[in-house]
Amino acid sequence: MSIHTNCEGVSRRDFLRVGALAGVGLSLSEYLALANAGGVSPGARGKSAIFVRLGGGPSHMDSFDLKPDAPDTHRGEFKEIATNVPGVRISEHLPKLAKCAEKYVILRGVSHTLAAHELGTIYMNTGNRPLPSLNYPHYGAVAAKELRAADYLPPFVAIPNLGAKATGYLGVEYGPFETGGSPTAGKALEVRGMALRPGVTFEDLDRRQNLLQRYDTAFGDYAKSDKLLQGMDQFGQKAYAMMRSPKAREAFDLSKESANINKLFGKEQFSQSCLLATRLVESGVRFVTVSLGGWDTHSENFSKLKGTNLPTLDAGLSGLFTALAEKGLLDSTAVFVTGEFGRTPKINKNGGRDHYPRAMFCLLAGGGIQGGQVVGESDAKGEGPKDRAITPDDVAASFYTALGIDHAKEYHTPTGRPVMLVRNGKPLKELFA
Amino acid sequence: MVAGAQVVAGAGKADLRPPSERFASLATAPEPSFRRQVVPLLSRAGCSGRECHGSFSGQGGFQLSLFGYDFDKDLKAMTVNTNGGEKQVRIDRTNAAKSLLLTKPTMEEHHKGKKRIDKGSWEYNLILKWIQGGAKGDVEATGEFDRLEITPKEIVFKATGGAVQLKVLAYWKDGAVEDVTQLTRFRSNDDSVSTVSLTGVVTAKEKGDTHIVAFYDNGVQPIPVMLPVSERTGPRYPKVAAPTKVDELVIAKLRKLGIVPSARSTDAEFLRRVTIDLTGGLPTVEQVTKFLADPSGNKRSAKIDELLRTPAYAAWSATKLSDYLGNNAGQLRAQGGSQNFGAKFSRQWFDWLYERILKNEPYDKMMEGVVLATGRTRPDQTYEEYAREMSSYFRTENPAKFAERPNMPYFWQRQNLKKPEDKALAFAHSFLGVRIECAQCHKHPFDQWTQQDFKKFQAFFEGIDYGSKAAKDEKVTFASLTKELKDAVPADPKGGNNQKATSAEFDKRVGAGEPVPWQEVIVSNKGKSKLSEKELARLKATNAKLDGRVLTPKILGGDEVLLNEYPDPRMPLMQWLRSAKNPYFARAFVNRVWAGYFGRGLVEPADDMNLANPPVNRELMDYLSDGFAAHGYDMAWLHREILTSDTYQRSWKPNATNQQDEKNFSRMIPRRLPAEVVVDAIAQATLSAERVEKFVADIENRAIGPNANAGVLKGGKGGGNYSLAIFGKPIRETNCDCERTTDPTILQTLFTRNDPEMFSALDQARGGAAWIEELRKSVAGNQARKKGDTAPAPATKTLDLDQVIPEVFLRTVSRPPTADEMSRAKTDIAAAKNPVDGVRELLWAMLNTREFMVNH
Repeated sequence: MSIHTNCEGVSRRDFLRVGALAGVGLSLSEYLALANAGGVSPGARGKSAIFVRLGGGPSHMDSFDLKPDAPDTHRGEFKEIATNVPGVRISEHLPKLAKCAEKYVILRGVSHTLAAHELGTIYMNTGNRPLPSLNYPHYGAVAAKELRAADYLPPFVAIPNLGAKATGYLGVEYGPFETGGSPTAGKALEVRGMALRPGVTFEDLDRRQNLLQRYDTAFGDYAKSDKLLQGMDQFGQKAYAMMRSPKAREAFDLSKESANINKLFGKEQFSQSCLLATRLVESGVRFVTVSLGGWDTHSENFSKLKGTNLPTLDAGLSGLFTALAEKGLLDSTAVFVTGEFGRTPKINKNGGRDHYPRAMFCLLAGGGIQGGQVVGESDAKGEGPKDRAITPDDVAASFYTALGIDHAKEYHTPTGRPVMLVRNGKPLKELFA
Repeated sequence: MVAGAQVVAGAGKADLRPPSERFASLATAPEPSFRRQVVPLLSRAGCSGRECHGSFSGQGGFQLSLFGYDFDKDLKAMTVNTNGGEKQVRIDRTNAAKSLLLTKPTMEEHHKGKKRIDKGSWEYNLILKWIQGGAKGDVEATGEFDRLEITPKEIVFKATGGAVQLKVLAYWKDGAVEDVTQLTRFRSNDDSVSTVSLTGVVTAKEKGDTHIVAFYDNGVQPIPVMLPVSERTGPRYPKVAAPTKVDELVIAKLRKLGIVPSARSTDAEFLRRVTIDLTGGLPTVEQVTKFLADPSGNKRSAKIDELLRTPAYAAWSATKLSDYLGNNAGQLRAQGGSQNFGAKFSRQWFDWLYERILKNEPYDKMMEGVVLATGRTRPDQTYEEYAREMSSYFRTENPAKFAERPNMPYFWQRQNLKKPEDKALAFAHSFLGVRIECAQCHKHPFDQWTQQDFKKFQAFFEGIDYGSKAAKDEKVTFASLTKELKDAVPADPKGGNNQKATSAEFDKRVGAGEPVPWQEVIVSNKGKSKLSEKELARLKATNAKLDGRVLTPKILGGDEVLLNEYPDPRMPLMQWLRSAKNPYFARAFVNRVWAGYFGRGLVEPADDMNLANPPVNRELMDYLSDGFAAHGYDMAWLHREILTSDTYQRSWKPNATNQQDEKNFSRMIPRRLPAEVVVDAIAQATLSAERVEKFVADIENRAIGPNANAGVLKGGKGGGNYSLAIFGKPIRETNCDCERTTDPTILQTLFTRNDPEMFSALDQARGGAAWIEELRKSVAGNQARKKGDTAPAPATKTLDLDQVIPEVFLRTVSRPPTADEMSRAKTDIAAAKNPVDGVRELLWAMLNTREFMVNH
């Protein structure tokens, strides 16, 4: 067994890792010890998170940070409307979100300097400004490591995929289970690896499992003492349990959702993905990402936002917040909605807005976050923070706090370098008042 | 600090009494030395640890350098009040005993770090006497540290609980020798085998072997410690054949440990193992059958020679070298065109390596082509010629072969290697197998490297850039070609920068082989002149202590170099890599090759060679590394030397003595197949018979080949990439071999059990011809006949299970079935809906066995 050394001068054993195992971020040895001591079962109900990625960078000026008094060159076509929280006003194209504003927090004047999609995405998805020499893990990978999921479900699910680097210095075992497709209303989502193929029954699964056991015998007793072989065997049983589990199947089956919850969502893929996210969290998945792209509106910003993006977002997110609340999950589920940056306050000649990281918005909700408020403020023309800038690091620290993970926790990279989860951020106090 | 103002204790003579005696009485104690005694004492007492005052922000307003190697800074922290009176000085010159440096660790005053020393102890006396003597520094006076000498040199315990006291002598270049046992930090590399106390007492725990490491000043010295596993050591060791030098050296260590190696593997095990390891794929059904039937005595070594000549060997080696060198398309994005030049560059990089491996070009020569590469291929090449040459590799008709370029500049072109420090880190990782990240900010905790060593090493890379250089006498330049390109495109009616049209024009010109503004890897020797103001400001921003002197480049652990003697600052580096004295270059490659064959290096982790992490078998490492260099860096020699040994060819089946051995190579330890091999093996096992041969020979469609390498992996999007990503193919973005992982995960199991890709392989296979479909067709005539004709089917149209079942086993686990397996399979197939479905299920099952998924 090899020894890894780290900068601190502490040596630690280099265990095989088996983190992606149904939410158990344990080394293989730890896992085996636990399993031998009576099985790995889901821990006490802890916290979960849903991360909504608005790829392309949504315009803050036309969604959650309107500037009705800004000059024509900046203001945009949309009007502000009041929400159910006095004093909080958002775009007229988000009417459903305006009716549940008590559930979430709008962060305004979130500010950074990385105007390229990839770099901005890394920053917003990890809480760390990207460095060439270090790959930071996505929030979801950290959650997969830190939080236990139900036995029959993966801890970190991306609907339909993550679209970003996932595991950074933590290692592939904490990567997302990507569903590969988006759900359709009223139907079960066939997820790769877990869904049964058409015509395949539970009996077929059982038969295969038996068949495999009849041939997986080459190593005899040695398989019980070799960590790799033993671990692979455990994973085999686990995979079987996941495929066989009616609960896992139901989690991905939208036809099992009640009418009361169903009606909160639109029929679009995004809405249904949000619905699926709530079901997964309900079933014991710890981190779900949902994506809504198309925000890179360099031209025809207003027709695109009005025609598609904002109504889609409105239907899905309002459903997400409301469904979580109705299922009694909002307090235990941290929600983070963000793009990689905002968009230029000044409208360009193509009626579009370009990349603009200096003033963006984010939404946070759940996990103990006090909804119904605006935190931070951008200046009169939405060009930058008015007084204090909220950094992506602060937002990340807040998100981790809501998720019950210490944002200052220290990890060691495989080369032994100590790294803090979020080095430069502090949780925003107002959120947890 | 005044140099030489201090008389150093013991200078020029040996004081071999332990510090506890020397400093037992305050009255008779010698004058303590700041460097030789005070700082090491604080380090051993834990004061300068990262949890305490060694933290980057200090602790309680007192900050020491991590592990105590920045003597000037530490002296200041103790003696100088930098903060205008707010901060307390740690020593009290008027009343030495009242110094915080004493009252805190003795808990006379509250100390969050608890009690570290007793009042009146020798440690107390040492610090007190130093303060009474004026609390002076003496770094210059003490001069250079020479070495540590530890006795005993090796410990072989007889039983658990046995204990041995270590003694550590420090030798200084000025001739001083001192017993520093009590001033040394000790560490055990494996606490379960042996522990070591603060005072240097080593205690045996479990059976096995490890190293105890001693740290003092710049010295890091490991000593081997073992507790034999069985009684069968030395003369009681059984007679074990050692046909090769590798075996001899491995067994020499096993003999000490009482570990008897396993028997040789079977021919089938050997063939599967060596084919996977050398060529990244499974042997074909025909190859297995032929090999098993071959009666010749030397068939194993003949097979090794045969495999070393295959394209798959060169491809798999090029893939692994690409890992070590960081060949990543995402980091090679090029300017100008709309095409993904990153993927093309990455493929060219692969091809360049591939062609050389195929010819078995010496490793040092190949690496020279990477290390010394510039964009231009000749010293007198003009920019225009360079730009034309670059375009020629991409032109549509008859493109020039990039692999024929004398050098390969993409290593230096990577976007994550812009800064000299990043180049230094990558260079150390790729060519030396050394991690020097720690020394970027503080003394390396497990090696000799100081921050100054890092800065001096970094100085070699200051002059290497990827960009454009305006040449004086050249008409055609990067700027002129850029302008030409812009002018060739009609103006954007909307007044924009017209990027799309410019890109299209760029592509058009490249396609025609015409010059376009390519950036290039440029080298200038900045060592010739002083740093510019701007550069100095940049360096100062990252290092406040920089005094403005030009850093003298210094090879890691080697000599200082006058760069003005060289036109390219990398030349002395390359000379050093090749020199017989180089402790890393050959070793790094040998160790990685070894790690590829045994699942762990002689030094493990394989890319973490440092003084505190010695090879598990030093003699073996020396033999292979020296031999590799002596044989002109002949990679085939190295592969043969390892693969023909019994050590490589041993069975995985353990015996009573080697069941627990995981690091002395007494048996083969099963390893999960690497990502690319898993993907290729599934494809090969499911392909129709006629397609298999082409699949094996043609690396274009293989996951170990150039295309999978160029199709960079990003977060697992896309079909082929999903499987490669979950099985741990490295992205090649960080300086760590650990990016490639062969750890098992649940996603991998779900993939082989039930993923659509898996079933699509079974039923359609890659390239559209599955073996199962072939079987189905072979009996389909049978069924078609049944529809029209009630007559019984001809016997030739049924599956011959005596032939098909063995083929399932040969395709997957590369061996024939046992009699038992054969009869089980017949029963299972008989129970299926129809025989073909039964075979399909059997094939699925075999692909899901651990025997398939591991190399054993």
